Parts: sequence; C-alpha cells; structure tokens
Amino acid sequence: MRKFTKRELAQYNGKNGVPAFFAFNGKVYDVCDSFLWQDGNHQVFHNAGLDLTDRLEQAPHGAEILDRFPVVGTLKEE
Amino acid sequence: MAKVAREMVEKAGVNVDQLLELLVKNAAAELTTYYYYTILRANLIGLEGEGIKEIAETARIEDRNHFEALVPRIYELGGKLPEDMKVFHDASACPPASLPKDPTDIKAMLTVLVEAERCAVRGYTHICNLTAGKDHRTYDLSQSILNEEIEHESWFSEFLGEGPSGHFMRRGETSPFVSKFLR
Repeated sequence: MRKFTKRELAQYNGKNGVPAFFAFNGKVYDVCDSFLWQDGNHQVFHNAGLDLTDRLEQAPHGAEILDRFPVVGTLKEE
Repeated sequence: MAKVAREMVEKAGVNVDQLLELLVKNAAAELTTYYYYTILRANLIGLEGEGIKEIAETARIEDRNHFEALVPRIYELGGKLPEDMKVFHDASACPPASLPKDPTDIKAMLTVLVEAERCAVRGYTHICNLTAGKDHRTYDLSQSILNEEIEHESWFSEFLGEGPSGHFMRRGETSPFVSKFLR
C-alpha cells in the first residue's frame, strides 16, 4: 500500500479533476466517488489533501462513516 | 439583507459567508429531497408500501417546509440561492435520495428514506453547534428543523425494525416545530 507524505497528500485536493484523498488516523481515504466530497470539499469546512484526524471530534458523525471509502494508502509520520 | 442582524452574527464570531454556504447546501438538500421523496412516495405501493406512503408524504411535505423556512434566513444574512437549478441540486448537503433498483424492496426503500433523514440530522446538528449562543435566529430555525428531522428518522427507523420511534405520526398540521417560521 502506498505511503504518502503530507506534501504528496496535498496534491490530491480534488480540485480541477484531481482525485480527492484525505488522511485520518494514519490511513489515506479515497473520496472521489462521494457526493459529499465534490471538488474536494466536504460540508464547506473540510478540504481534501489534508490530514483531518483532528477535525472528526467536531463532526456530527463518527469514524465508522469512513468505512464507506476505500483506503488507498497510509500517511508517513514526519 | 438585514444589515445589523448580519453584523451581530459576525460580531459573535461566526463566519457568515461559510454559514451561508452551509445554509444554501441544506436548503438544496431539502428541496431535492422533496423531489426525490415524490418519486419514492409514488412507488410505495402494494401491501407493504401503502403502509409507509403516508409517513413518507408527511416527511416530504415537511422537507419542503424546511426549504421554505431556510430561504428567508439566507437572504436576511445577505446570501442568495443559485440561479441555476442544476448547480443548486449538485450543491446539496446530502446525496440524492434516489429510487432503489428494486422499488418493490421495501427495506431498500426505507433505507434510502432513513439515510436521507440521518444526513439531515447530522447537518442541522452541525449548524446548531456552529450557531449556539452566537446566531440566535439561525440556531432557533435549525433546532426547529432538527426536531422534525429526528422524528422523521425515528419513524423510518421503526419500520426497519431498529426499535420504537417513541411517538405517533402527525395529528393534524405538519411541521409542528417549523411552522412558526412559515407564517
């Protein structure tokens, strides 16, 4: 499975046809097929290409919702 | 635009442009859900389907009411709806509540309905969290909508065998919580 640096992950921001990936708890998720991640943005406040681990605390859903998305890699610790 | 009303919300620390974007997305979710529920309702037929049709109809009408209630707040805060209906549809805060492949599969129909309501419950909880103690009017509106969305979720959840909803269907008028914003 591919290992992403934060800089590599940042390229997958979902803009201009680029795939939308984000990281959570060390895993990198592909949300390209999600209606709720169009153009790499989710509910106004969250953008693809980032490590969103700290954001989930404020979200109105739990981590189990991420099971719907394929894992495409892991995030390298820097 | 209600200039001072917007200023008060900004002063309280809310990013009004972001809030407006969220309100527009949720208004889109309500109107598109109203549309998709029209199709679901029409397909709720037969012995099992007919038993759910009236509840789906109540949820459908109340979702339209939510759209109607959200729009004035969007304009008060200086926002607007997209002119292009397709743009509006695609901006929805919730995925389309599309008819399942087999509309005679009542469990699949109920799953679409309950997922749509759960998305709405998450969305209004988020808006309530953002506006609590800061934007009283948007909070009041979102909380009122949230009350109705939670009831919709529990109705459909009950039919899926997830446990009792704890309350009855509407008796009389629709939108007991949101109607004060529709007068």
